[in-house]
Amino acid sequence: MKKVDKQVAEAYFRKRVRLMIGYLIVWALVSFGVVALAEPLSGFTFNGMPFHYFMGAQGSILTFIVLLFVNAVVTDRIDKEFGIDEKANEGLHTGKPLDH
Amino acid sequence: MDTQFFVSLAIILASFALYIGIAVFNRARRTSDFYVASRGVPPVWNGMAIAGDWMSAASFIGMAGTVMILGYDGLAYIMGWTGGYLLLTFLLAPQLRKYGRYTVPEFIGDRFESHTARVIAAVGTMVVSFVYIIGQLSGSGVVIGRLFEIETVIGTMIGVVVIAVYATFGGMRGITWTQVAQYLVLITAYLIPIIFMSLQITNNPLPWMTYGEIVSKLGELDAELGLTQYFAPFQTGTKGQFLALMFCLMAGTAALPHVIVRFYTVSTMKAARWSGAWALVFIGLLYLSAPAYAAFSRFILMTQVAGQPLDSLPAWTQAWINTGQLQLADQNGDGILQWQEIVISNDIVVMATPEIANLGVFVIGLVAAGAMAAALSTAGGLLIAISSSFAHDIYSRLINPQASDKKKLLVARITIALATVVAGVVALNPPGVITQIVAWAFSLAAGTFFPVLFLGVWWKRANAKGAIAGMLTGLGVTLGYILLSTNFDFSLFGIQDTGAGVFGLPISLLVTYLVSILTAPPSQKVQDEVVDLRYPEQMSYKDGEVWMKEPGR
Repeated sequence: MKKVDKQVAEAYFRKRVRLMIGYLIVWALVSFGVVALAEPLSGFTFNGMPFHYFMGAQGSILTFIVLLFVNAVVTDRIDKEFGIDEKANEGLHTGKPLDH
Repeated sequence: MDTQFFVSLAIILASFALYIGIAVFNRARRTSDFYVASRGVPPVWNGMAIAGDWMSAASFIGMAGTVMILGYDGLAYIMGWTGGYLLLTFLLAPQLRKYGRYTVPEFIGDRFESHTARVIAAVGTMVVSFVYIIGQLSGSGVVIGRLFEIETVIGTMIGVVVIAVYATFGGMRGITWTQVAQYLVLITAYLIPIIFMSLQITNNPLPWMTYGEIVSKLGELDAELGLTQYFAPFQTGTKGQFLALMFCLMAGTAALPHVIVRFYTVSTMKAARWSGAWALVFIGLLYLSAPAYAAFSRFILMTQVAGQPLDSLPAWTQAWINTGQLQLADQNGDGILQWQEIVISNDIVVMATPEIANLGVFVIGLVAAGAMAAALSTAGGLLIAISSSFAHDIYSRLINPQASDKKKLLVARITIALATVVAGVVALNPPGVITQIVAWAFSLAAGTFFPVLFLGVWWKRANAKGAIAGMLTGLGVTLGYILLSTNFDFSLFGIQDTGAGVFGLPISLLVTYLVSILTAPPSQKVQDEVVDLRYPEQMSYKDGEVWMKEPGR
């Protein structure tokens, strides 16, 4: 066991929370935002259909998938940057049911 | 008994044999196998299992039909049921995984150090899962009944027996691999018809690229007929209802106990994040396809069926007319079937379209098998959630803490068998339309569990009294709104019963917050545990300091 500097630990958490808030803002814009503006957005077309329909049927889902993968990749990178070893993480929990 | 019957029967039996074989092969031997598959499922496969677990009869059978009938307004389901995975994967799943319990009520009971909270959460889980499973069982009844040309009631009974057998013997480990197989069956069954339809209509095998033009053409056809255009927004409900429904489906997704439990089957927080991402890829494949399914079905109905003389309609129409789900009546008596004279139930669109488009006996049988896979896989996951709530959280934590593993497993299995039978009996005469019942389950999960899980994970000051008050008000407000809205035509801001969670959730969040700050804070141990959830497994928070475990020690 090694003590982690308080500022380092806080920096880790803050970095992750900031990114997450960013992802959630994009999430809200492509779903709630686009629905709220459905009428004006119906004026132009994308992939053959009116834009508001495209966003509901394809655009928002694709954005969600991209956000989840960006989060997974970026978080892995942050973990690495802070010296987290996934092998060690696995060793701590795999196959070990919780005892009570 | 024609060729179609035998082909469909053969495909369904072969797929059932596959699921049961997998379940028997992976029989649960230990408690941790039964509930969480020993926590070693790799993320990609777990993502596929989540997708199989997640996509129910409502997704497979109901969604394309809902979009076809509601047009743009049906897309609330598509966005809601996918967007929820972001809330789940960002806000809850990895943290709950680090906390390391078997079930949602167990997390709530231990996090708030309260048996009362545990019991409320266990009962809430059983209520939500039970409401949800009724839809699955009656969905499987419709498919089996239509296919075997027997009554829906007997079809439901057959479905109940099959589900009970594999859920009882397999447990979570069996279910993981069964759900992977079920996902593969259901996605193949969904994609093949739309790829063929895309080829038929547009000469391009990629429906996602081509159906946009069809959507625009549908708008033109509607305009010619003097109808509201297919893609016009908010024709069947208000914008408020659309937003509220989408919100409830998202928050409900994040808080559904049977989905959360699938994130306990991976090894680490990182694996939980990747599972969520893969899950949405596999789910997205079907959800991106449903609007295409809807557009093609409607296009074929409008251009190839409508406008035909009534006395020369193809053979497929009669079977569906007999089920009462399709009505073709020549209202103006000109001998020609007009589009406005077709009344089609949204639950048969996916099943009937391959027949309408003449895709052959094999494809039609495959679609039936896919629909069964969707209903069975979700029902299996829900039964695990119900049985673990009772056997694990109530029986072995409160009633008989000294019970042996064997005894606990037996109680879990008996609970599954009992729950299946009781839900089966209710499903014989369901209390509403399938999609409506499913939306209630989501609203209830959003109102009851989302606030308490969210604050429990992110706010160390949340305490037991707050959690109990929050869950009870959330459940009460949501359930109350559903009952008032369905029985007395009550509504606020134009929001219907399916959007009830939009009131339950914020009220519950506020109550949890207020009661928590007005009462004593939770113990230091619990507050430390909550701070600990901010960091990966290797880091742990103790006595105000963060410690890092070094590899190999």
